[in-house]
Amino acid sequence: MRPLVRWIAAVALPLAVPAVITGALWILPGDPAEIICPPGICTGREVLSARWGLDRGPWGFYTTWLGHAVTGDFGNSWRVAQGLPVRDLVLESLPATGQVVALAMVPLVLGMVASAAGWLPRRADGVWQFVGLIPSVILALGFAAVVQIQFGAASNEGLPALLRVVFAALVLGVADGALADAIVGTRSTFDEEFKQRYAQIATLRGESMLSNALPNVLPALVGQLRARVLAVVSGTVVVEVVLGVPGLGELLWSGTLLQDFGVVLAAAWAYALLSGALLLTQAMAEVAVATWVRAAPPVPERSP
Amino acid sequence: MMAEARPARGPAIALAAVLFAGLAVLAAVAPEFVRTPDLSARYLLPWQSPPFGTDDRGIPLWEVAAQGSRIVLVPAMVAGALTAAAATLAGVARCAGWSWLDTGLQAVGELVGSLPRLVVVLVVALLIPPTWKSLLPIAVVWAFLAAPGAMDEAATTAGRLGGARFVEALKAHGFSAARILLYHVIVLNLRPVLVRQAAEVGMQVVFLEIALSYLAVSRNEPSFTHPDSGYSWATLLYQGYTAALGEPLWHAMALGVGLVAAVATLSRALRAAARAR
Repeated sequence: MRPLVRWIAAVALPLAVPAVITGALWILPGDPAEIICPPGICTGREVLSARWGLDRGPWGFYTTWLGHAVTGDFGNSWRVAQGLPVRDLVLESLPATGQVVALAMVPLVLGMVASAAGWLPRRADGVWQFVGLIPSVILALGFAAVVQIQFGAASNEGLPALLRVVFAALVLGVADGALADAIVGTRSTFDEEFKQRYAQIATLRGESMLSNALPNVLPALVGQLRARVLAVVSGTVVVEVVLGVPGLGELLWSGTLLQDFGVVLAAAWAYALLSGALLLTQAMAEVAVATWVRAAPPVPERSP
Repeated sequence: MMAEARPARGPAIALAAVLFAGLAVLAAVAPEFVRTPDLSARYLLPWQSPPFGTDDRGIPLWEVAAQGSRIVLVPAMVAGALTAAAATLAGVARCAGWSWLDTGLQAVGELVGSLPRLVVVLVVALLIPPTWKSLLPIAVVWAFLAAPGAMDEAATTAGRLGGARFVEALKAHGFSAARILLYHVIVLNLRPVLVRQAAEVGMQVVFLEIALSYLAVSRNEPSFTHPDSGYSWATLLYQGYTAALGEPLWHAMALGVGLVAAVATLSRALRAAARAR
């Protein structure tokens, strides 16, 4: 049942996000065209209204925007990078965010594996939890100061740029309790499973508890991993801006601050697609594990 | 097997009360507007201009700290209360055997929990009219996004208790349904989960405000979490950042980090204070 709910949610997310934004635009007081294109900030409201179907009500706007979005047409930016296609801005920013997220997952996955294998002493939990108390913005601030002092404000290429990405990943992988939750969460999942009768019988038979319990805890671990990826992706907004990494989070923040609605909607939709993909991955992993666990074990042939 | 040592609840309750009272008093005494900049009094250290010194424009740092406290206090409490209410609903639904509500909450939780929170917050920040500029709507949205996790944990805790069978067993002992749900389920069983989740979300809202305001301050743009006349704790941290670059404002950094540490400690103390016996 759960994988089915996830499949449905994965498909619904990219449709629901623009729908909710559209609903909010029409519920809030004022003309939606003025919210999207505030007077004094952008010009050509009539042209914009006609292009995006704002003059045809919420359904007209929703279907027009979604119809363009599936073909990769998000229009042009009117403040972040005036006149440039939003699609190009999003595509340019994706690699940096991809690098940050992939690198941030390294300490988290290592922490989960080490915790599952019992390589990390329980006494060290306090250390991870203490480090996890540091908010990401504070840790990112410290690293930003280090880069700026060492390389100067205009240090956006070569080693400084690489350092910014590495530091951003480190912040997302450690701060806000990320690493502590990965380690302690994995351990407590296994601890619960090890209390099961079958796991204790496996010990008596001289088998590894880990290999016996792993198939049963995998769905829970995959769920935890998805939550961590989502938290890391969400955290990129703050960390990329503080450390000056030109990624999707930075683009979204610039769009919000400068009230560039086209950029914000496109970036939010990109995040919704990513979340949907994560949900699909989790659902597929759950189905695969269930199939693996339920597969009938091979029965050895009896000798006559 | 040796029982795991747990910190005593009494000191945790006292610590939480002291920290909360400190922040509340700071918010209560916050001036409507900070003092006019006085360049002759800038960069004063705490002992030169008690209690916390002044910033690069001669504004006393305690006024900035107090205004920051006022910005975050109520929204953080509202967000915590909303999260706790949602978790209570999920826990009660599991115990009362309302399977349709239980399934519905799981489905909504799956969808809402799949959204990157900060992205949603930024979209909301873009959409809310400038006249509503406040942390409260953002805190409410954050609570809504954090609710699925809290609801899941509360439902699991209630399920571990025995769910509907637990309620039936107590009914057989003659307790009323209202007493079972309000006292046995919520107060005795769900309390640690509710307080922990509320404290966690309250702390997250404070850190969210700091992060959003910091990003705005660093780009010299107005923040959408408070009116332009107000100062956030992020201002202290930004001044602390300039200290790392050579400005004599280490005392601002110490105050900013100290306030963040106080909020984190308050959250931990509340969790310890509400843990199960």
